[in-house]
Amino acid sequence: MKAISVRGIHKTYPPIKGKKSVHALRGIDLEVEEGTIFCILGPNGAGKTTLISVLTTLLFPDKGEGTICGLDLLRQRGEIREIINVTSGNPNLTDNFSVFENLNYYGMLYGIPKALRKAKIETLVATFDLEAFRDTPFNQLSTGLKQRLALSKSLINNPKILFLDEPTIGLDPQISESVRLTLKELNQKEGLTIILTTHQMDEAEFLSNRIAFLKEGEIIAEGEAEKLKKGLRFGDLIRFHYIGPPLDLDRVSALEGILKVEVREKQITILVDDRRKRLDSLIRILLSEQHIALQDVEVIEPDLEDVFIELAKTPH
Amino acid sequence: MSLLSLQKHLIKTSAFALKNWLITKKRIFHLFEILFWPFIGLISVGLLTRFLGLESRMVEFVLIGIIALSVVQIGQLDIAYVILYSIWNKSLKHEMVAPINGFHLIAGSWVMGIIHSLLIFLLLCLFSSFAFHLNFFSSGIVRLSLFFSGLAFFAVSVGIVVCALAFRFGGRAHVGAMSIVSILILVSGIYYPVEILPGSLQFVASLIPLTYFLRYFRSFYGFASGDSDPLLLGFLLSAAYNILSAYLLYLSIRNAKEKGIIIRLSE
Repeated sequence: MKAISVRGIHKTYPPIKGKKSVHALRGIDLEVEEGTIFCILGPNGAGKTTLISVLTTLLFPDKGEGTICGLDLLRQRGEIREIINVTSGNPNLTDNFSVFENLNYYGMLYGIPKALRKAKIETLVATFDLEAFRDTPFNQLSTGLKQRLALSKSLINNPKILFLDEPTIGLDPQISESVRLTLKELNQKEGLTIILTTHQMDEAEFLSNRIAFLKEGEIIAEGEAEKLKKGLRFGDLIRFHYIGPPLDLDRVSALEGILKVEVREKQITILVDDRRKRLDSLIRILLSEQHIALQDVEVIEPDLEDVFIELAKTPH
Repeated sequence: MSLLSLQKHLIKTSAFALKNWLITKKRIFHLFEILFWPFIGLISVGLLTRFLGLESRMVEFVLIGIIALSVVQIGQLDIAYVILYSIWNKSLKHEMVAPINGFHLIAGSWVMGIIHSLLIFLLLCLFSSFAFHLNFFSSGIVRLSLFFSGLAFFAVSVGIVVCALAFRFGGRAHVGAMSIVSILILVSGIYYPVEILPGSLQFVASLIPLTYFLRYFRSFYGFASGDSDPLLLGFLLSAAYNILSAYLLYLSIRNAKEKGIIIRLSE
């Protein structure tokens, strides 16, 4: 079953205080399978938060339709809110309520009976290591603890889909890592569908089963991280380190399947259509060069950041 | 509605009562607003009546007005605060993403509004008896209860309007609350009979339920009520305003969800 299935979602923000209107989403089509971690990547202003807000019913789309766990996004908003939850980076909960009071209050907003609520709070407090801070007001918690509390709050109703808007922003690397591991565990053990936005490519790559790149309100690429890397890089990078005089680039460039050649001091980087097909001929031609001694060969895997940069600068 | 569904609605509603209770308990400023200003208002006006040498009937007229105003002010404050506090905390989206509706929000916060305004009503009545020899309890507990109920019922619409303004203007809606109360002071006969107002303002006064609740209660202190059943009129008008303001709140939330105001208020 599809956790999310939306088609043709458009959203334009009306002009505010002399600023122009913003067409934030331009016909978003999105399908997310249940039990996956789906990441929405994109530069600032791409429409990530707007998309999350539409999917969580906090924002009405101008056009488009869809379902969240089979419930109509436009007509069954109340029912949708029963089965989802959301949190974001720099979380804001009720300032002078303690950890327990915040969780209890949000639990009540979901209509959870007292006994169940208390049991759930105990589990969450233990899972997120918040026991020592049960009675600490939210505004006295560190950023990391606030984020852990926000994540606890977002699980209070046992959601089927958890929406996370930049969940590790502002956290130190150690806490970010523990948040990521917790999310992964929740997904793997409980089958929780997670939709997250992030700027951090390593986070997206570590967590996500699928990734969508959002740019200027449109999804310009979507798929598994590995396939995106392959598909958008248009080939593989092979780098040779050598000792000797400058190389004859024309001979290398003339080979079949060579897309781009770059030479720096004692290294030549070659973009090829497929490394398995071209590596042998490249090595042969380089070895045939007189006075050249090959020192090392690297096959460079593109990372998601390369894909992101490539996509961000590509006109669409 | 099934029992389970009813239980869920009750829990969601009581969440907002709990929220306001915790705010009162933890935020000294809120307690200050509930207790301090009504007492300052009552004492200063009470002393003014002494300075002016008003006869006891006139003192009763004015003090009934100021106590009624305090009840409306405190009653609406809890309803308004339930949203304003979330806006000040930037936590509004977490509440709005939960499966709650306007009824839960208003009914839950009104519970605390009733408790707070009843507390201030009784304290002000007792203090008036002690300091200014105004015996509120002479009218009887039923009349006193009806008077209080009318004021508390009317306070709901004021609170809902402030909530609706909050979904449009954010934290600045607090100014709206002050403005509404100022208009009530001007036109609904708090300090003087509405009959001394110019014709157009008398018409405005006739549209405000507080005018009728004051007429009802002052009639037990020798003032003409002017209407055959001011209490019923007050309740009917309040009910109409509660329905209208609830619709206004619905429109405001809808507008906020169309324009992205909830997201903006949570950033």
